[in-house]
Amino acid sequence: MKPITATEAATAAAVELFEITKRFPGVVANDRVNLRVAEGEIHAVVGENGAGKSTLMKILYGMQTADEGRMLVGGTEVRFSSPSEAIDAGIGMVHQHFMLADHLTVLENVVLGAEPTRRGMIDHRSAHRHLEELGKSYGLDLEPTDLVESLEVGERQRVEIIKVLYRGAKVLILDEPTSVLVPQEVENLFHNLRELKAKGHTIIFIDHKLEEVLAIADTITVLRQGRTVTTVSSSEVTAAELAELMVGSELPKPSTEPRESNQQKTLSLRSVTVSGDDGRPAVSSVDLDIHRGEILGVAGVEGNGQSELVEAILGLRPLAEGDLLLDGESISHWPVRRRREAGLGYVPEDRQRRGLLLDAPVWENVMLGHQTRRPYARGPWLDRSKARDAASQIITDFDVRTPGVDTTVRALSGGNQQKLVIGREMSARPQMLIAAHPTRGIDVGAQAAVWDNLRKARREGMAVLLLSADLEELIGLADRLVVMLRGRLAAELDPSTTTPRLLGSHMTGASVDGESDIK
Amino acid sequence: MQLLRSSIVLRWMLAALGVVITLSICQELARPTTTDLISTGTAEATLRRAVPILLAGLGGIWAERAGVVNIGLEGMMVLGTWFGAWGALEFGPWWGLVIGVTGGALGGLLHAVATVGFGVDHIVSGVAVNILAPAMARFLSGEVFAERSGGGITQSPRVDSVGNLDLPFLSGGDLLGWGTPDLLSWFVDKNWLLISDIAAVLSGITNSLSWASLIALTLIPLSVFILWRTPFGLRIRASGEHPVAADSLGVSVYQMKFIAVVVSGALAGFGGAFIAIEQTGVYREGQVQGRGFIGLATVIFGNWQPVGALLGSLLFGFADALQLRDRTAVHALLLLVGAALVALALRALMRGKHSSAAILVCASAAVLWWYAATEEVAGELPPITPHLVTLLVLVFATSRLRMPAANGLRYRRGQE
Repeated sequence: MKPITATEAATAAAVELFEITKRFPGVVANDRVNLRVAEGEIHAVVGENGAGKSTLMKILYGMQTADEGRMLVGGTEVRFSSPSEAIDAGIGMVHQHFMLADHLTVLENVVLGAEPTRRGMIDHRSAHRHLEELGKSYGLDLEPTDLVESLEVGERQRVEIIKVLYRGAKVLILDEPTSVLVPQEVENLFHNLRELKAKGHTIIFIDHKLEEVLAIADTITVLRQGRTVTTVSSSEVTAAELAELMVGSELPKPSTEPRESNQQKTLSLRSVTVSGDDGRPAVSSVDLDIHRGEILGVAGVEGNGQSELVEAILGLRPLAEGDLLLDGESISHWPVRRRREAGLGYVPEDRQRRGLLLDAPVWENVMLGHQTRRPYARGPWLDRSKARDAASQIITDFDVRTPGVDTTVRALSGGNQQKLVIGREMSARPQMLIAAHPTRGIDVGAQAAVWDNLRKARREGMAVLLLSADLEELIGLADRLVVMLRGRLAAELDPSTTTPRLLGSHMTGASVDGESDIK
Repeated sequence: MQLLRSSIVLRWMLAALGVVITLSICQELARPTTTDLISTGTAEATLRRAVPILLAGLGGIWAERAGVVNIGLEGMMVLGTWFGAWGALEFGPWWGLVIGVTGGALGGLLHAVATVGFGVDHIVSGVAVNILAPAMARFLSGEVFAERSGGGITQSPRVDSVGNLDLPFLSGGDLLGWGTPDLLSWFVDKNWLLISDIAAVLSGITNSLSWASLIALTLIPLSVFILWRTPFGLRIRASGEHPVAADSLGVSVYQMKFIAVVVSGALAGFGGAFIAIEQTGVYREGQVQGRGFIGLATVIFGNWQPVGALLGSLLFGFADALQLRDRTAVHALLLLVGAALVALALRALMRGKHSSAAILVCASAAVLWWYAATEEVAGELPPITPHLVTLLVLVFATSRLRMPAANGLRYRRGQE
């Protein structure tokens, strides 16, 4: 593996970024990032969550402007202040969260903003023809008159790609395009991308799944903490080497500590089946025991039933089949409040939407979910002064950096919001703590504090269910690991003998000896 | 069957025919207590009562298609009544309409500045418009109307209307100075079952049709055309469905919403001016009487489609016309409600929903029994019939409705 330098790269550059810097309040998202994408290649930009990939791409697409640095597109210097300028320069972006209006047709979504007209009307016939031509020449199969809401995820992504091609983009940016796809759709996408490359388009591909990156990219640029680490050719690097480049070595590592074995079951799932939003089973007959004083890690590519599982345990989603036992007692028909009172703590995935009232003060947030119990309530009344005392206690115990208990939660940083949520849940001394992506999107210091707290919970005898997309975190913290794939438990692993690579292959359903099934 | 599926116009005509037949049958059953369930006079009054609501509904559709809830329609109509009357008084009825439209548009502008420009919650801003508009109208009346004869702080002197037209041949209108025969009236006078009824409805629509009504009716196809056939309309609808996506494609979302809300206000203003100039011939405080809200209900009832809003406003107009013309006709309306419930029950049965079918059958039995057992309905009921009918339809129709996805959501550029 050796870095590619500018002099070695013979072909002309489609896009060149020099010393791009972008600061947000409190963080430097991009710190003098350099990126050179040759014409007609598939160039992957990889890095952990928060490494600055998305910010960099938003700058290239004109959704954000860089504070410093230069951009060259096709050799000319550019500066975009809006996406439409980037579109004019031949750059198109396929967003991670699709930018499609469900109630409009495929055709309307595609032509929006660049409508062909005839006598003041949208020229549906020529647009229709244009779309079909595009579809045919790139193998992107679509019916222009379909409503977008009737389409599958993979088809929606094709609409996004057509949308970009319709505007004549030569350079396509795809932001984590595989995160929403099932493996079969990923194969189709890669097929489409190769087709595009063959027709001379340049593709910038954002991802953090290394197997996929190695399967599709020609060149790979690694970002870490807002900086460019290196650019390498995909044929000269292995997944392990990439992972090392991505993570670096100076980051704090999650680690666990020895534990007395305890076989007392806190929560048992008995062939639990849960329906997803579309009515199909999102979780299919899962059997699982979580014991006192252990951290059970759940790994899985997003959308494989983990969220639904957690919601079912908490009572936010009904069980289609099966039973839930808390300390041997069936809780399947209990309402959420009763489950929480019986000892379920929950650190939600989306803390700002589900975990907190952003515009309420800290002390009110601390009461949420415990509002029926002492010290927060006395009979039907809330006990304000005790609640405030309890809030101050949590602030000290869990190191929440806030000016006081009357500060609104919106004013706290993401890390402190998360510490507040964890503090609230743990201070009620639940039997069981469910933590969904507890370190997503928070800074390194807060991350270490969250890890400490999870270890503390385990020490105090709570059963901890940990969902995470951060494989290092799972391996480092968990006592046992299970992998969810398409709503089922695909594997149970011992963290002490597992590598991220092995875990990753289980998550994608690839064979255990390492080769990816995405080819 | 193929033709039926392919032609929307044909389908609508058949549906309208179905309504006339039902009315006609009910009319025969209710004779001789009432003869007003289906007549030229009822049809004419229905249209007149429906127009302001239709305009408010169209206004609601324009705003909500762009994603802005316009609960301020009522206030904008109030502005339309005042400015319409004032304009008619100063410059004549046609200018009155124009100035009324402008007055409503000013209300829309205020709502647009608040919701689109400053990101104020749509409901809060709408309520503010509704509070502000009557206050402003009263203040202006005190300044302008109070010193004129016949005027005061709550009402204006009488104003002229823009005039009516009779369609040539159909309703005996003039054509180049030659009085054409009135064919429809001839059919009505024949008293042929069904044919005379259809003629009566058509005659009611075409006979002494207000020019303002005619303009209002043409605004329906015009709105459909602009919103669904032009790039501008697509951009407006996209702003209401997924503003972030529209923005990412270079659509100026703020501008689209702004225009749509001002148009919405203008339409509501037209509705208000219609009430003052055409319906009552005077500005009077409180004369809008919640028609803006009824218009908003027709938006929902009509599934955010202009034709749907027309149907909703006709329904309300019909109930309103009946209670105004003939209170005994409201009693006959029970028969109609009973028939509608039976139809709904049949539909539920065909879809295999047995329990809801049973409930509907019971309800229709109760209504029909009420009809048979009484001579007329309680005196309090007729005036609220229109509201009651609208409410009932809303309750039954809401399950299949689909509003613009980003309707009512605050949109700030760059925040997802």
